[in-house]
Amino acid sequence: MSALASTAPPAHLFSVTPDRAVSALSASPAPAISDRAPTRKIRTLVALEGVGKVFAGRRGQSPVAALEDIDLNVADGEILGVIGRSGAGKSTLIRLVNGLEQATSGRVLLDGVDVTAQPESAWRQARRGIGMIFQHFNLLSSRTVFDNVALPLEIAGASRGEVAPRVKELLALVDLSDKAGRYPAELSGGQKQRVGIARALATRPRLLLCDEATSALDPETTRSILALLARVNRELGVTILLITHEIPVIKEICHQVAVIEGGRIVEQGDVFEVLTRPAHPATRALVSSVVGVELPKSVADSLLPMPVPGGRTVLRISFTSENATAPVVSRISTVVGVDLNILAGRIDSIGERPFGVLVVAVPSHGPALAAVQASLRSLALETEQLGHVA
Amino acid sequence: MSPEIIRLIAQATLDTLAMVAAAAGLGTLLGLPIGVFLATSRTGELLAAPRLNLGLGMLVNVTRSTPFIILVVAIIPFTRLIAGTSIGTGAAIVPLTVAATPFIARLVEGAIREVDHGLVEAARAMGATPLAIVRKVLIPEALPAIVLGLTLAIVSLLGFSAMVGAVGGGGLGDLGIRYGYQRFMPDVMLVVVAVLVILVQAVQTVGDRLARRLNKRLRTA
Ligand SMILES: Nc1ncnc2c1ncn2[C@@H]1O[C@H](COP(=O)(O)OP(=O)(O)OP(=O)(O)O)[C@@H](O)[C@H]1O
Ligand SMILES: [Mg+2]
Repeated sequence: MSALASTAPPAHLFSVTPDRAVSALSASPAPAISDRAPTRKIRTLVALEGVGKVFAGRRGQSPVAALEDIDLNVADGEILGVIGRSGAGKSTLIRLVNGLEQATSGRVLLDGVDVTAQPESAWRQARRGIGMIFQHFNLLSSRTVFDNVALPLEIAGASRGEVAPRVKELLALVDLSDKAGRYPAELSGGQKQRVGIARALATRPRLLLCDEATSALDPETTRSILALLARVNRELGVTILLITHEIPVIKEICHQVAVIEGGRIVEQGDVFEVLTRPAHPATRALVSSVVGVELPKSVADSLLPMPVPGGRTVLRISFTSENATAPVVSRISTVVGVDLNILAGRIDSIGERPFGVLVVAVPSHGPALAAVQASLRSLALETEQLGHVA
Repeated sequence: MSPEIIRLIAQATLDTLAMVAAAAGLGTLLGLPIGVFLATSRTGELLAAPRLNLGLGMLVNVTRSTPFIILVVAIIPFTRLIAGTSIGTGAAIVPLTVAATPFIARLVEGAIREVDHGLVEAARAMGATPLAIVRKVLIPEALPAIVLGLTLAIVSLLGFSAMVGAVGGGGLGDLGIRYGYQRFMPDVMLVVVAVLVILVQAVQTVGDRLARRLNKRLRTA
């Protein structure tokens, strides 16, 4: 906590001035992020404009279009997650942002500066202001934890006197002070990724790129790493662009999400909106396992398209706003005088916002159904008619 | 065995050690950068220079496929140019180095190629220059394998050094041939072989230990 509060990102990081990254290391303590946040102008840190990437085919193979017409903006201070299946182009996309790949069409802008065709030497400078963490951690096995974290500082040309205190501070931040002298082979996966995060933050970048940072970790460890990333974002003000194929990662810490499929972004927006109202089939497929509910198999199998006499209608009610925690069932039962049969349900949260789904059965005939639907509407709840059962 | 013979054996051992140490040292000095270059200069690699890579690779192959004894004779003019003479223990260091360099280069190349490409990616993402990547990532990460390769090179050099007697180089091999074989003194032959066996054992043991010490990957607490 205190380690975080005493640090602040440099004023401008995608600079091409050779000694920026280094001088930033010795920057005097700046006011805590929370003090500055209200005055900070929201700006776009990363912008991809109509970006395409075609890999030239190796001998005799046809070229691969890995990305097509990608438009993506990452606002300063937010966490944007790109989700998609294996081979969708996620890694290629994130690697465009720090110049490990070059776009073959469109433009890449960092903090408003067009970097699409900048030479490798300029990229080297820019990369010192962009941290990156990896699925397989990519720590040097020959270096201790301490020396791994020191590596980007050495590369940036920091003096020995600057390196040691900064590394200590970073290890405290990721809670690994007691492992400073250990080698990566002696650490667990979660600890390795913490080292990776400390290393990525060493030069005080304003942007952190995460390529499947939790895909090699178990769910428990994943949660702790995500919590750390959320803290880095919140307390250090580091903007995060992450890619993943796991919807829980998006749900847990992202503010914005982009869904990528076959090299194209098929849907993007606020995480809560996209997850609760997925429009594209690819998004629906990703989302269903986490924010959807499964109907009991016996009910799903007996769903009919038309109501039957004496049967019931199956409704899906989504709770997406403050009403998510409202006592809807009891209210409807008392107000409308109809008993709802609950078939399935789930209460969850996306970010900090609660979200729920309830599948209920209501008598199809008589005033009951209409009354229930009217009541649900008055509560501003979204309902969807799934079918009918006998 | 006469004191004279014992003195000869001691001298020959020192000669062998001097030749092998010098050739291994010079071979490493030359072979390490060549090996690093070979490992990083194909198309799309860190120091991409495909033509130079191809040319250097061919030169390395030619040298490596020439039998050592032929190499020794073939480069006599070169040896004379470098050492001032083509005869003697000092001059023998030249062909030994010429043989060791491409051998070490290939071993270093192999060791560097084994380094996880993800580490190069990570270093690039930090803004490292190609030279910094070589110095801070590739060589340190490949070091245990390089040490094992050098051990192998030194053992091979001990074998090669036995052949330089053909051009007037001294050393154990020369002594073994001249006294053990030509003057039919089997006890001298036996001692020469025994000393070589001990040297090979010692080099291998030290190399293995050092490589294990440097390897931080498989630590069993
Ligand atoms: N260097 C390359 N040369 C040729 N094709 C490539 C190269 N890198 C990636 N591709 C192709 O581009 C497409 C997208 O690859 P990418 O690695 O970006 O996918 P991904 O979404 O990260 O997948 P994963 O989840 O498996 O990591 C794939 O079809 C892949 O084969
Ligand atoms: Mg990938």
